[in-house]
Amino acid sequence: MILNADQRDAVAELVNIAFSRTAAALSDLTGNRVELSVPDVATYAISDLEPALHKFVHGDVATVHQIFGGPVSGDAFLVLDIDGATKLVGLLTDADAPTRQMGASDREVLAEVGNILLNACLGVFGDLLHVRLTFAVPRLEVESLSSMIASLLVERQEVRHALLVGTRFVIRASDVTGCLVLVLGVTSLEKFIAAVETWAERSVTGTGDGR
Amino acid sequence: MATILVVDDSNLSRKTSRRMLEAGGHRVRDVADGMSALEQYALDRPDVVLLDVTMADLNGLEVLRQLREIDPAARVVMATADVQSSTREMALAAGAAGYVTKPLNDAALLAAVGAALKGIAS
Repeated sequence: MILNADQRDAVAELVNIAFSRTAAALSDLTGNRVELSVPDVATYAISDLEPALHKFVHGDVATVHQIFGGPVSGDAFLVLDIDGATKLVGLLTDADAPTRQMGASDREVLAEVGNILLNACLGVFGDLLHVRLTFAVPRLEVESLSSMIASLLVERQEVRHALLVGTRFVIRASDVTGCLVLVLGVTSLEKFIAAVETWAERSVTGTGDGR
Repeated sequence: MATILVVDDSNLSRKTSRRMLEAGGHRVRDVADGMSALEQYALDRPDVVLLDVTMADLNGLEVLRQLREIDPAARVVMATADVQSSTREMALAAGAAGYVTKPLNDAALLAAVGAALKGIAS
């Protein structure tokens, strides 16, 4: 499914609002100002996702995976490369020299951060789109990008698409590049796009305040 | 009636801001990037600039700084989804006359623009 220009603009603005809240949550957690680049938004077939993700992350990745349900249901992933993930854990734990080896406590910290960030982002989607979402407990995986993609390709009965939102967080002079991937079935993606269009229409026409 | 220059890289945001400001009786010009904003400001000298923060190439805080160099009396209201207090503080320290957060709300936007026109920080 390819977004038309108006759909892409509306999704980008929704994502901008959601990611700004996410950055604020990250700023609160780290106690540092967070600079956010303009998010890059596109949809992909799952089979085309890996090359698209290479724009943001390489090699092994740390992913926080959250399944969400409701009228729009799917899988949300916060994907960070290992360097970014360890930097982030280092900032949160005040480690002087974070290492790439992630121990149990580091994983716990990262899973909790991912949970907060994904909820901040998806919560804005739910609020603005007037869609009630429910969340499962998030799961952290440290694996290769290929393994992550492979896990998306198995045991699925419906054609699914990925809405990829990439951005770069800069925290206290540390670049943490990451992206959010929403994997949705065709039906959920169509509902999501329809909800975004309704929100955009409300915003432009003033029928409601866009909230 | 005042002339407001809306600067935002989102077409949706520009349309939303235009609708709200025109309903408030203002005349609106809009541009999609920081460089165009600087050019348009120099040409038109609008009464107030409504300026997004997160934009590619030239971000809103840099545009604010350059606008204030062109015209130290420029009245600029920042309109952004960035709710970090540090961003608000940086914008106000750089001379912004107001700060509203997205999603925009008619009353809050018109109040911030009204306050900027009266020279009251909001």
